[in-house]
Amino acid sequence: MIQEIAIGHQTVRREPVPAEEAVVQVQNLSLFYGKHQALYDVSINFPRNKITAIIGPSGCGKSTLLRSLNRMNDLVPGVRLQGKVIYEGIDIYDPQVDPVEVRRHIGMVFQKPNPFPKSIFENVAFGLRLQGQKEGLEQAVKQALERAALYEEVKDKLGEVALRLSGGQQQRLCIARAIATEPPLLLLDEPTSALDPIATERIEELLLELKKRFSLVIVTHNMQQAARIADRTAFMHLGVLIEEGPTNEIFTVPRDPRTEAYVTGRFG
Amino acid sequence: MQRGLSLESSKSPENLRRDRINRVFARAVIVPTVLALALIAVLILDTIYDTVSVQVVEVTETSGKSFPLGQAWNAEQVIRLELLAQGLPEEEVNRLMADPEEMRIFGLRNRVELMWATQDGPLRWVVSSIDDERVSNYSLLEGLRRWNELKAGLQENQQLRLNPWLDQSFLSRDPSRNPISAGLRVALFGTLWLLTMTLLLSVPIGVGTAIYLEEYAPKNALTRFIEVNLRNLAGVPSIVFGLLGLAVFVRGMNLGPTLAAAALTMALLIMPTITIAAREALRAVPDSVRLAAYALGATKWQTISKVVIPATIPGIATGVILAAARAIGEAAPLLLVGAAAYVAFVPRGPMSEYTVLPVQIYLWISANLSEFANTAAAGIIVLLLTLAGLYALAFWVRRRFRVEW
Repeated sequence: MIQEIAIGHQTVRREPVPAEEAVVQVQNLSLFYGKHQALYDVSINFPRNKITAIIGPSGCGKSTLLRSLNRMNDLVPGVRLQGKVIYEGIDIYDPQVDPVEVRRHIGMVFQKPNPFPKSIFENVAFGLRLQGQKEGLEQAVKQALERAALYEEVKDKLGEVALRLSGGQQQRLCIARAIATEPPLLLLDEPTSALDPIATERIEELLLELKKRFSLVIVTHNMQQAARIADRTAFMHLGVLIEEGPTNEIFTVPRDPRTEAYVTGRFG
Repeated sequence: MQRGLSLESSKSPENLRRDRINRVFARAVIVPTVLALALIAVLILDTIYDTVSVQVVEVTETSGKSFPLGQAWNAEQVIRLELLAQGLPEEEVNRLMADPEEMRIFGLRNRVELMWATQDGPLRWVVSSIDDERVSNYSLLEGLRRWNELKAGLQENQQLRLNPWLDQSFLSRDPSRNPISAGLRVALFGTLWLLTMTLLLSVPIGVGTAIYLEEYAPKNALTRFIEVNLRNLAGVPSIVFGLLGLAVFVRGMNLGPTLAAAALTMALLIMPTITIAAREALRAVPDSVRLAAYALGATKWQTISKVVIPATIPGIATGVILAAARAIGEAAPLLLVGAAAYVAFVPRGPMSEYTVLPVQIYLWISANLSEFANTAAAGIIVLLLTLAGLYALAFWVRRRFRVEW
């Protein structure tokens, strides 16, 4: 078991993602909830049109890292943050940047499916309406549902309340809702942990399809899932990014003993 | 000491005794339920029973009716026509009309009622010659028991009949000093006016308070204090709100005994209930849905107005309907802020005088003519049906529109 807190730990890297291929660059990010430090000096580049998985035991800060990519942590009272998150050449934590605007560029899907208690159509159109789009909503909604592999199942009941869908359908609806506005980056926070294996498989197939068009960052505590779908994997432990690299290398030749212990199932 | 399981265990004396206790207890708890239901049934049946009475009446064409008179008529012409129609010679009529004192005595003897400036026109003529027309009034049981005896004692032109006080025209008749022609129209319109004004005042303020407390206010000692006091406020006796309304609205703001003062008082009375219902509805919306809206780039106000509030409308509507039911049934605070007076007309605006259903019932019950007990019973049935309708509506709204998260 690994117990020591590794402050200022050097991340083990193999050929990091070059800056020009990165959609988001996290630079020396530290985050505090009040007095508690949740992230320690994390630096990582997330590649464009790839799936990056963030794995690690519960409470390791992987969700916190994900939420700092679209400033969702701002909603938690008492959050303090150091470092930079550079998206399209702009530090999204620059005081001149509007956090609400950031979230319109970076989509997010949550652990538990959370559709609005509205019709299927209105769920998907929500982001578009927020951005003031009034024309061509039908077309955009249809496209988003098709990309989320849900259209065939719901095309005859777009007016029905979304809460009547099954859990897996709800989660695909949430993905459709997030990608309707075509955000270049999609963040997924354990998107299949509340779903059964069949629904999980469908979502995984969908994510592999989506990476042609979007860049994805997925937090998961399911290592098999990371191994199946992720191009790159980052392992976090106690707020520290321990190791980051191509998925197959992380799982087959981990260089840090803690990574090895985790991916071989000795703790977690 | 554990014994082995035997095939006779269902017949052992201890177990039989145990089963008997179970059965007795299961039956015993039915008793209070049956008792409660029986009491309610007795209450309702007794009220319904009081809405019918047996009367001996003299048959006239005009009994218990009222006739609106158009602009072309004035009081003098009406009285003249009435007197002529009663078969008085023209000289006698002229003599009566010329002498106010004679006229007054004649009027007292016949109890012909002329009402001025009614909804229907400048005049309404109510034939209410109660002494002449209705010989006697008996409760349903007594009337039925003595039916044959009464029938035998009938004189010429007299009839024995069942009077169902709660008939169609009961709702559309104006109030009257005569129970036969008294109706609920003014009270119904008063209730409708008061309820509308009360809800217009209390719903925006009550729901707004709930939104602020639930979505914006910091969770600290002050907001907890407010929360506790909201619940206390909802439990304050309504008469206290009546005293407040009398001091602040009727006297302080000089509104007088008007609908406006009553609506402000009732709004204060039901606001805590609405706020509590709205807060509970807001609290039922999971945070995950708020986060979803934020993640799509919604501002706080957009999240609240486009996602949270639409999801709470069934809950808030239910709370508002239940609060409305309370407002409709309240008499005590309204007696204090001025609904006690006899009001002959439907309200025409917020500054009108008014009366409402429970106050009208209260006035009838406290009237000294025994037949008003029958109109009061009929009024109670109308009030109970209205409340039952509102509760059914609340139940339906909750069932139909509830959001299953």
